[in-house]
Amino acid sequence: MTRIACLATMSEPARPTALLQVALAHSPCVEDAGAGRVYLDASGLQRLFGDEPHMAARLHEAAAAAGLETRVGIAGSRIAALAAARLGAGATVVEPGGDAAYLAAAPLSLLELSEDVAARLSRWGLRTLGELAALPTAGLFERLGGEGVRLQRLARGEDPRPLASSRPVPLFEESVDCEWGMETLEPVVERMRELAVRVCASLSGRGFAADAFEWVYRLDGGGVHEGALAPAAPMTDPVAVAGLLRLALEARPPRGIVQSLTLRARPVRVTPAQESLTDRSRPSPRVLAATLNRLVALVGADGIGAPALLDSHRPDAGALISYHPHPDPLPRRERESGTPSPLRGEGRVAGRAAAEGEASESKVRGELREPTLALRRLRPPAPAAVTLASGRPVALRSSRLTGRIVAGVGPWRSSGEWWSRHPWLQDEWDVELADGTLCRLAHDGSAWHLAGIYD
Amino acid sequence: MAIPIESLPPPGWDREGIDGLLGLFPPGRLSEIVGPRSSGGSSLLLAFIARITTSRSQGGGQVAFVDGMDALDPASAAAAGADLSALLWVKCAGRLRVALSAADLLVRCPGFPLVVLDLDELGPVPASAQIRLQRAVEGSDTILIVRSARHREGSGASLVLTTRRLAPRWMGLRPLTRLAGLRSEASIARSRLYPLSPLGRGQGEGQQGEGQQGEGQTWTIDWTL
Repeated sequence: MTRIACLATMSEPARPTALLQVALAHSPCVEDAGAGRVYLDASGLQRLFGDEPHMAARLHEAAAAAGLETRVGIAGSRIAALAAARLGAGATVVEPGGDAAYLAAAPLSLLELSEDVAARLSRWGLRTLGELAALPTAGLFERLGGEGVRLQRLARGEDPRPLASSRPVPLFEESVDCEWGMETLEPVVERMRELAVRVCASLSGRGFAADAFEWVYRLDGGGVHEGALAPAAPMTDPVAVAGLLRLALEARPPRGIVQSLTLRARPVRVTPAQESLTDRSRPSPRVLAATLNRLVALVGADGIGAPALLDSHRPDAGALISYHPHPDPLPRRERESGTPSPLRGEGRVAGRAAAEGEASESKVRGELREPTLALRRLRPPAPAAVTLASGRPVALRSSRLTGRIVAGVGPWRSSGEWWSRHPWLQDEWDVELADGTLCRLAHDGSAWHLAGIYD
Repeated sequence: MAIPIESLPPPGWDREGIDGLLGLFPPGRLSEIVGPRSSGGSSLLLAFIARITTSRSQGGGQVAFVDGMDALDPASAAAAGADLSALLWVKCAGRLRVALSAADLLVRCPGFPLVVLDLDELGPVPASAQIRLQRAVEGSDTILIVRSARHREGSGASLVLTTRRLAPRWMGLRPLTRLAGLRSEASIARSRLYPLSPLGRGQGEGQQGEGQQGEGQTWTIDWTL
C-alpha cells in the first residue's frame, strides 16, 4: 500500500533546497514539486519513525528546526496528501482508503487547472473535488477529453503516477589556503591546476561534468578577486580545464597578493550519445573549448557565436547566440520541422516579406536550392548623401561607395515596434551604380544610409 | 545477366551548375575566391556553407566563418539554406591581423570541414600570414577559403576562383518593380592540385600533382534574390 507524505511551506522558502534536505533525511524517494512543496514516499517508514501521526509530527518538527514553517499531510495519493497539508492544521493524516472521502470537500483549485478548464468547470457550477468526482465519466470525456478523465481520477484520489525522485545537485568546490601569499601568476596557476584536478576527479566520480567554473581569491588586505568561465562543452578533463583557467587568468590576473583560492564547478549531467557513423566528425570538445577561449580573448565575447535570426521585421534583426556543436540532442529532421525555431518570423519589408519569406522557407526545406544572392551588410550602415530626381535616387556619395545610379527600385517601406520606446521606420531602395555595383540604400525618415552591398 | 553499372553523381548533384564548382575546393589546401563588389563571390561562399552545413550524406558539418568586415547577413545565409546553428561566426570588426589570427586558430582546430576567411576589401594579406595559413591547413581535412576583392600576386593558393558580374536581373518593365537577381560568372584562374572530376575532390587523391587542370573553365550562375 502506497503512502505519500506532503511537506508544504506556508510561503515560498528562502532556501528551496532546505525543504528537500528535510524530506531526504526521512525518505530515499522524494519528489520536488516546486513552489515550496515536496512529496516523499512514506511507505514502510513506520519501523523507523513510528506510526503515521508520529511521522507527520516528526517531519513538522524537522522542518521547523530547519527554519521552515510547513504543514504536513500523509495520505494514499499525492493529491490527498496535498489536501491534508493545505487544509489540515500542522500535521494531518488521512486514513488508508479514505482519500476520496477526504477530498470530497476540497476546492477544485488543488488540481492546478488550466485557465480554460477552470473556466468550464466554473460555468458548470463545480466548486469541490467531490462534485467533479461524482460526474459521469463518459460525459466528462466527451466534453474535456482525456484531461477530464485524468482530473476526475485525481479528484477521486486515484493517482497512478509514481514519484519522480529528485536529489539536490551536489556542490563541487575545492579550496586551498596559502601559507605565504602569491604575488606572481605562475604559482596561482599551479594551485588552480591542482584544484582543477581535484574538482574534475570529484565530478567524474559522481557521473557529472561541469559547464561552468567559478573561482574566488581572497587577496591580501581583504580584497576579493572573482572570475568565471564557461567551456564550449561540459567537461571533466583536468588538463583542458587547467588550460582554460590559465588562459582566463592570463587575460584577467588578480590585482593583489593571493592568500586563498576557491574553485567551484557547476555540475551538469551529460547523457552519453553515440555519434552516427555517417556523421562528420565534430570538433573535439577539449580542443574546441581552448580554441573558442583564445578567440574570445582575440575578438571579445560579443564577437563570436552562432548567428540567429530574431522574430522581427526590423532590418538586420539578428543576434549572436552561444555556439554549441556538442551535444546535438535533436535529429536534424526534427530540428528543421520544430516550431520554436529562430529562423521563423524573418521578413524584410512589409511589401515583399511574404513572397520572399515563403521562398526562403521552401529553399531551406527543399533538397535543391536555387543559388541565392547574398547581401553584405555594412555595420553600422554608412551615412550617405543621395541626390534625388523626381523622388528617385540618381546619385550616391558615401565613404564606401560613390557613383551615378543607373537603375533602382523602391521604396520598400517598412516600420515596426511603434508600440515600444524604439520604433523604427525605413524606406529601402535597391540600386545599381554606374560601375555595376548593386547596393541597398535606406532612408530612416531623416537621413540616407548605405545598408549593404549585394554580392 | 550483367547489370550495367554507371558512374552517376549522387541525386541532386548538378554537375553543370554550382555543385560541380563547389566540388573543386580541395581539403587541406588554401583556396581563394576573388572578385569585385557585386560579382557573386559572397553568394558563392554562402552556397558552399549551405552545402556543408546541411549535407545529409555527411551528416552536416560545422563551418567557421571569420568575418573580417562584419558583413555576414544571417538572413542571406538562411535563405541560401545554411544551418545557422552549425555556423561559428567570428566578427573581427575590420581588423586584418585579428582576422588572420582567428583563421589560423580555427584551421588548427580539427572538426571544421570548412573555414572561411572573408576579407573582402580588407588587406592586402601579408605574404608571411598567407604562408602560415597554408602551412596550418596542410594535411588536415579542412577546406580553407579566403574571400577577397583583389588577387594578390604571388599568392600560393591551390585554387583561385575569380568572379565577375554579368548583369543584374530586374522584375517589371518600366518602371522596374524589384531586383530579381544577378547573373555572374565564376572561372578558374588557377588550379594546382585536382583535375576536374565528376566525383568531386575525393577522386583527385590518386591523381595528385601540380598541374593546371581546368584553368580558364567558367560557370555562369544566376543568383536569385
